[in-house]
Order: sequence, then C-alpha cells, then structure tokens
Amino acid sequence: MTVRYPPLPFDPELAAALELNKNERTVLDSPAAIPQMRANMAARQIPLSDITGDGTITASEVDAPGPRGPIPLVIGRPADAPADIPVLYWLHGGGMILHGHKGRDLLVLKEIALALGIGFVAADYRVAPENPHPAPVEDCYAGLEWTVKHAAEHGFDPARVVIGGASAGGGLAAATALLARDRGGPALLAQLLMYPMLDDRNDTPSAHQMAGTGVWDRTANEIGWTALLGEARGGPDVSPYAAPARATDLAGLPPTFIDAGSSETFRDEVVDYATRLWRSGVQAELHVWPGAYHGFDTTAPQAELSRLASEARLPWLRRVLG
Amino acid sequence: MRDLVSHLTALDPGAAATVQVIAYFDRLVEGRAGLEPIVRGAAVLSGCPARLSDQERHVRVRVQPDGRVVPATQPPEPDWPSVPVRADGPPALWLERPGPAGPVDAMVLERASAAARGVLERTRGRAGDPASVEVVLDASAEERTRLLAGRRLGLGPAARAVATDGARPLVVAPDWTPPEHTRAGLGPAVAVADLPSSWAKARIAYRFTAGDDDPGPPVVDYADLGGLAVLAGAIGPDTTPVADVDAIENARTTAPWVLPTLAAVASAPSLRAAATALVLHHSTLQERLGHAEHLLGWPVRDPAGKLRLQLALALWRLHRTASLVPDG
Repeated sequence: MTVRYPPLPFDPELAAALELNKNERTVLDSPAAIPQMRANMAARQIPLSDITGDGTITASEVDAPGPRGPIPLVIGRPADAPADIPVLYWLHGGGMILHGHKGRDLLVLKEIALALGIGFVAADYRVAPENPHPAPVEDCYAGLEWTVKHAAEHGFDPARVVIGGASAGGGLAAATALLARDRGGPALLAQLLMYPMLDDRNDTPSAHQMAGTGVWDRTANEIGWTALLGEARGGPDVSPYAAPARATDLAGLPPTFIDAGSSETFRDEVVDYATRLWRSGVQAELHVWPGAYHGFDTTAPQAELSRLASEARLPWLRRVLG
Repeated sequence: MRDLVSHLTALDPGAAATVQVIAYFDRLVEGRAGLEPIVRGAAVLSGCPARLSDQERHVRVRVQPDGRVVPATQPPEPDWPSVPVRADGPPALWLERPGPAGPVDAMVLERASAAARGVLERTRGRAGDPASVEVVLDASAEERTRLLAGRRLGLGPAARAVATDGARPLVVAPDWTPPEHTRAGLGPAVAVADLPSSWAKARIAYRFTAGDDDPGPPVVDYADLGGLAVLAGAIGPDTTPVADVDAIENARTTAPWVLPTLAAVASAPSLRAAATALVLHHSTLQERLGHAEHLLGWPVRDPAGKLRLQLALALWRLHRTASLVPDG
C-alpha cells in the first residue's frame, strides 16, 4: 500500500515562473512524447558565439573517440587565463533520453569559468532508448579519459579535474566517478551533482509525494529510467554505474557538492546519497532548496532561490580547487 | 524565464501575454510572496528594472531584469510609466524606461501594484500595528523594547507622534502632513527613543486644536505653541474657568458670527486682514467688534486687549479639550 503524503507547495516565485511557461513545456507522460521533447531541447541549443561573443571566453569543438564513434565536446576557457588551470568536465541533463551539450548549460559554464578562472569541457554522450545502458556512461567515461589525457594541449591541469552535471548529467557524473574509482581511472578532484538522477527504483517518498506536479515527476522518471534500463529497471540487477543509488560502497569518492529542490522527485534520493557519502567518509555539501522543483534554476534563473543556488556552488568550487 | 520574456513581448500583446502576466502575479499572491518577488516579477516580465518606493512605509525595493536587487542611486525619471500602490497615493511603482507603457507593461504595473498593495496592507499597516505604536510611545517601556517596536513599524531615524480625533495615536515620518479634515496635535520630530516625549507634546498640542464648531486651527504643531504650552498644564477637567472664558462662551452663544469674528481678529495681523478673511466690509467688522467688545467686557482692538482675547480663546479651547485628550 502506498502512503499518501500531503502536498509540498512550490516557492511562490518559482510557481509563478512555472505558470508562465506551462504552455510551452512538454510533459513526458508517455514515450511518445520523447520526439517532441528532443525537438524542444534542439531548439534550446545556442551557437558558441553566444558565449564567445564578448571576448571573455574562447571555445572550440572537438570530437573525442568513443567506444562506438566520436563524442562531440565543447572546450572553453577564460580568454586571459594562464596554462594549467583546473577544468570542469560537464554532463548535460535530459532524463537519459535527450541530446545536446550546447544548451543554456554553456552560459552557466561560462559564468563559473570566469568567476573561478577555470576551463570546461561539455560532452554530448549517446542517449537512450536507442543507446541503453551502458552506452551513455561509457561515453561519459571516455570523454573524461580524453579530457585528462589531452588536458595539457588545452592548458588544463590534469590533476585538477572536477566532474559535474545536472539532472541525468548529475547521475552520469556520479556514475562516471564510481567507474573512475573502480577502474583506477582518472583521479577526480571533486564532483558537482546538481539535482542528480540517481535511483532507477523511483519509489522514494518524494517521488510519490510530488507525483503529477512540477517538472520531471514520477511518471517522467519511470519513462527515462525504462529507456535506459528496459525491463531491468527497478529490478534486483541494476548496475551502480547506471544508477549510482545502487552502489553499496561510496568510500573513496571525491568531495561532493549535491543539491535538490525540496519539492521534486529526486529530493529523497539526493539526501540519501549525501548521507551515505558522509557515512563512507566522503566530505559532501548538501543543499535542499525549499519549494524548488526540478531544474528550477534553469526554468527561472532570475528567482531568488535560483540565484542563491547558483551562488552557493562557487564558494564550494573555490574551496575544492584550493 | 529569459525565453519567456522575449516570448511575451513577441506575442500579440492584447491577449496571451497579458493573460500570462495576470497568471504570474496571481500565483505570487496565492503563495503570499513578499515585495521583492513582486517587484522582481515586474522587472522580469517587462524586461527593464522596476522599483517600488513607499515613503510613508519606508519601503524601497529595486530589482533588475536579471533578478538582482540593486538599490536605486537616482530618483525616478518623470517619463517612466508608474502607478500608485495606495488608493489615491503618489506614484509608487515604476518601470525604468520612457513611457508611455505598452499593453503588457501596463498590465504588469497594474497587477504588480495590486499584489504589492496586498502585501503592504498585510505586513505594514498604515498606522502601524497598534501594539507596536503603543510600545514605542510608552515612556515606561524599556528603551530597547521601544527601539524594537520602532523597527517593526519601519520607522526611520526620526519620527513624530500625532494625537488625532481618531481612537489611536499615530507615529509618522517628520515630513508627514495630515490628511484634510483631520484634527491633529503634532509632536516634535525626535529620535525614535524619544517618541514618548513627542507623544506627550502631541497631546498638549491637540488640546489647542479647534473642534467642528470652532473656526480656530484644526491642526496645531507643538513647535508653534511656544509659552502657550505651559497653560495646558493649568487647565484640567475640574478647573474653574476664569471670567474671560465664561465671557467667550456667553458671547459665542448670542450669535453665530461672534466666535468666527473673534477668532479671525485674534489670528489675523490686522483688522483689514481679518475683514478680508471673513469676507466682510471693514466698517461692518468695526460695527460687529463694537458689539462683541460689549459682550466680552473688554476692548479687543488694542494690543493688550488682543492678547487678552488670544489668551481667553486658548483657555476656552483648553477647557473644551480638558477631558477630550486621547490617551496613550
């Protein structure tokens, strides 16, 4: 029997912003909506000139060799930065089903790069259902290996690589960090997990509590995970490299920043992951933004909570970068 | 929201965009959002900085379209679209670009001001919450407590207490002016910690104010009383009036013109000025004064007599207000 949870309202400013764009949002209530969501995502991609236009950032596009063909990357750095700067390896969101590493993430990466004097590499990994697990995470891992191997060519310090991502990208960043740990791969300085998609079981109290509301509810989450894992979703044999919440041992992971909205599906899996990191001896900074829905800071970047959330990531990055 | 703004302005401004503006502010109101989200909504939806400024309530909020709160450094330009927030109040919400406002901006201003009005009424009632006003005026309350109450009322560094014919005292900004048809005694502008003394003086000033049936001044500022203020302490509810006060009272009841005539002569710089104020021919005034002097029993047209008249009127009002003074 399912427990019924009382509704948890959205922050009024975030609720108002959601109201504004409700007509343009595609709700993922069936796999048939995936093409429309991909079209929306494609429409949100921006030309590189949007970040390089003012001359503060230089950016280039490179294809890294992946396990099954090239992985497109965007590489950026502050125009006036010296060599050997740290680099943020970034994985975009999109529920494991959406392409596109050139969305508004690039604007956020630019802000971070300029604020901290670091570079970034954004990867366009393969997505489900055409490319189920382990294709996405293996592409992410291959992109990370390439970034570390070719760091010097781009003026990056291979010893100071932070992995990060939002939503599905946050889940893939966590999974890639687990792979790197277990394969003895690249050493990561830290992981930045913005409202990450961690748990294919989709059965936490927050998943039930927020069902049918906001952005990326329980139904959408089930469609995303099923695209990635098929019949295996929620079963006993899901790999932690697909769903990091399945990992039984989190020891040895790098220092972590992890956040979520209180009013989103992922709230409880995020809080649980942070708790288990601490118990495993990994330092983690956890933020739960009250009344925030999934992806609030991209839906309503001007809102007070969005601004606070964006600003909170910088001091953490500064500390881990040293 | 960045997408939405360009989307809003691209839409047919008559229909869909204004509906979205309404929906946006409705959600803010439903969620009991504060002033900052409301002003931010105005800035984001209009795509230009927006500011809210309510002098009386000491509220100033300015938000840029990127959501940042940045205090204003310049006063509003006269050609910016603006609306009042209080009914019949001065302009209080501005969009910082030259007007006139298009349909979307006009709807933003209307809905944002309505939302802000609701917040201000809920959180910063006009006269302040009565309990805080009571505390800030109470000499027996600890200074720390009074200063705290002053902050709750949103007071600036200086304020003045006002005694009115309403049931409650007011605490207002130094440059406050009473609304028309108000009977009010104004205390001096003082530091918040000294408001109990401003309140005591406001009550003294109130005792010199004129009621409905008295052509004297309905608003009296304590600062203008000078030595007259001392008299207030001499007249209580049980004080026997001096003969001149009885004379005023008797004279005023003989004919309706008597009191206005005496009040005008007492306050005007000359008889000619008094005649002008009363809209009377000079000789008519002379005739009436002759009659009034007979009723009073003393001349009012020489300096000593005029002073005696002024004192008699002041004492007469003090007797009338001896039991009327609003208490703290």
